[in-house]
Amino acid sequence: MFSLRDFDFYFVYRIFAILITTAGFWMIFKKCGKKGWRALIPGFRYYKLAECVDVEKEGVICMLLELVEVVLTIASAVKGRGSGYYGYLALFNLVLLLTELLYRLRIFSGVCRVFGRNRKWLLLWGPVTWAGALIFGFGKHFQPVNLGYNPDNDMVAGTNPAKIYFDSHINSVSPEGLTVILKDRIVRDMTKKRYLLKDIYFTIPPRSLVLLLGGSGAGKTTLINAILGYEKANASIYLNGVNIYDNYEQMKYRIGFVPQQDLLRGHDTVYNTLQDAAKLRMPANTTSSGRKSRIADVMGVLGLSEGSTGLVSKKSGGMRKRISIGTELISDPELFILDEPDSGLDGVIARELFEKLRDIAHQGSIVLAITHTPDRVAELFDQVIVLARDSGRVGRLVFSGKPSEAKEFFGKNSMEEIVMAINKKSEGGEGRADEFIEKYSRLMNERSSSPEKEADSHE
Amino acid sequence: MSEQIRHKGRIAQTGIYLGKLFRMFIYQNDWKMIPMAALIAGMVTFAVGANMFKTQEGTVGGCFSLVCVCLWNGFFNSIQVICRERPIIKREHRAGMHITSYIGAHMIYQAILCMIQTGIIILICRIANIRFPETGAVTGNVTVDSAVSLFLITYAADMISMTISCFVKNTTAAMTVMPFMLMFELIFSGELIYLTGAAKKLTVLTIVKWGVMSLCALGGYNSLPMVSLWNQVWKFRKVEIHGYQPVKMITDKILQEKKLDEFLLQCGAYNTNITYETTTSNILTCWGFMLGTIALFAVISILLLKRVDKDTR
Repeated sequence: MFSLRDFDFYFVYRIFAILITTAGFWMIFKKCGKKGWRALIPGFRYYKLAECVDVEKEGVICMLLELVEVVLTIASAVKGRGSGYYGYLALFNLVLLLTELLYRLRIFSGVCRVFGRNRKWLLLWGPVTWAGALIFGFGKHFQPVNLGYNPDNDMVAGTNPAKIYFDSHINSVSPEGLTVILKDRIVRDMTKKRYLLKDIYFTIPPRSLVLLLGGSGAGKTTLINAILGYEKANASIYLNGVNIYDNYEQMKYRIGFVPQQDLLRGHDTVYNTLQDAAKLRMPANTTSSGRKSRIADVMGVLGLSEGSTGLVSKKSGGMRKRISIGTELISDPELFILDEPDSGLDGVIARELFEKLRDIAHQGSIVLAITHTPDRVAELFDQVIVLARDSGRVGRLVFSGKPSEAKEFFGKNSMEEIVMAINKKSEGGEGRADEFIEKYSRLMNERSSSPEKEADSHE
Repeated sequence: MSEQIRHKGRIAQTGIYLGKLFRMFIYQNDWKMIPMAALIAGMVTFAVGANMFKTQEGTVGGCFSLVCVCLWNGFFNSIQVICRERPIIKREHRAGMHITSYIGAHMIYQAILCMIQTGIIILICRIANIRFPETGAVTGNVTVDSAVSLFLITYAADMISMTISCFVKNTTAAMTVMPFMLMFELIFSGELIYLTGAAKKLTVLTIVKWGVMSLCALGGYNSLPMVSLWNQVWKFRKVEIHGYQPVKMITDKILQEKKLDEFLLQCGAYNTNITYETTTSNILTCWGFMLGTIALFAVISILLLKRVDKDTR
């Protein structure tokens, strides 16, 4: 006779949970544009779920932990309960399970983020995973709203105005100044490609002071690193007609870069810091007097002559920034890039600094600067380059031209308003990046089709 | 493109960085390493100096302690020197600095620092009246031989810690790793704990082993008296068997006949250690291993630091 006592409720519950979880994952994968059958493969499905929600690393760890657990479970079964190793294996397995739970929670947290839901849902996902999978998979009101960039979803080739504009300028190298032809900058996170920048083309004439504008995460520093060759992109970068990537060993001396953080040895004097920079960066055949003369020039331009025997660590923030600039300027670079040179400086000192950068540009260099407070020095810039993240979270060119044209293009009165216009709504902006990317690309395509207008824009 | 412009080569760059390091020796208070070395050497010689090079036990203990002083000095000299300025190195490397020049400058600078520290240790040992053997087995001058040994120990430790400094990304990580290296050196040297099996094989990887070996060999360990056996026997003088005190009888006999020194020397002769043999080849082998360690870790440092470009923002 069948007795309820013989009925293994836990076993039935386990089967039920596995089936529901699989079905829920299947639906979530479909909602994220992935193949649903992948939910059938234990372990691997967590990896795919993590991939959907942009936390691939956690997915890989989860998958590996599950694999180790299977091995340990088999080993425990083979060794048997009486074995001396059994206790150790069981304990190790428990640690692995807890670790895996932590990583699963991170993946589930990603699911909540992608579906635009509160993290309180983790209270359900953690202990009753099948219920979370069921609700998020089958719930009509549960739809992904923050999916990452998928190149398959990009506009059909030939209809994307940004791409058309980029493709039409792929061989347009200016013999003077800086030409950036950046097809894309990709990072690989485990097996997944992530686009950081895409389809960026602009030129900067010599003697220009250029503002690189954009919200946080728009790809400004990534673009700078690509131009400098620190993080090479799928790009061709030309400085006065010479490809930087192909001639990097020589070109690196012709490019100066001042990072946001002051990279100086505090326990050395200002003069010695500049002198060592001169010895390292100036050509080997420079005479001692030539070097001294250049150091004097740089100190004069940057106002470092006074107190040059003092230690760098004893100097003020503004002074240290000028010393940083001095160490790069000493080799008289043709391209001079500064990442937020005015961070931590008050308005007056920041303005003084940008006026000095203006002078450096006048002397023949291209000066490209990032700043988050551009309006106090806006009139000093010759050109503004605006970057923004599109809805697929890829950094794209939104505008390149004169500051006055930028204001007109965006219909705004200040640079900070422009940034607000292109920033995401979740960041307090207007979320109009896609609109302006398309508008700028169409405008440039129109100009390309009428060469006179394009010639005007380059003047 | 325009003609190729030459910039300063490796040797010139080494000179530039060496100048910078010497300036920073003054400005950054690196000179504090010198009184620190004197202080620590003074403490150790005060504690273990009395029996050093007089008895086998005192020699092993004293040499081990001196090696620890060198190890400590070496580790502290350069554990933070690279990692504390890693972002600067990254930028300078990208602007044309040769890593070999940078490491080369540090090696020269650290070598000079280690020489000064070695000189201080020797001076303190002399002030503390430690009785060195009369002749050196390699150069003929025991002070020079000892100084070479102490220098190589300090410098090898210095190079190991410089490698750690090249490997880690910040000073906190460096100071976390250092104690583990210190523990590895002390435990796996086999001088503190008797090791067997696979652990014993690891002793060849430690500079402490080669350092103690070279110093004990220089100190003529195998020709020194052994006192620990006498000290142990002395404890059992009052043991009685059938109303007799046999241990007391033996010890009294030795003392009455004034044969104690001879007895201790005979004990030492039965307690020789082949690894402490006072021969030129033995000491040169120890020095060779330490020089090998220095060269190996210098190469590893260069290779590790060449990866500085891959540091994330």
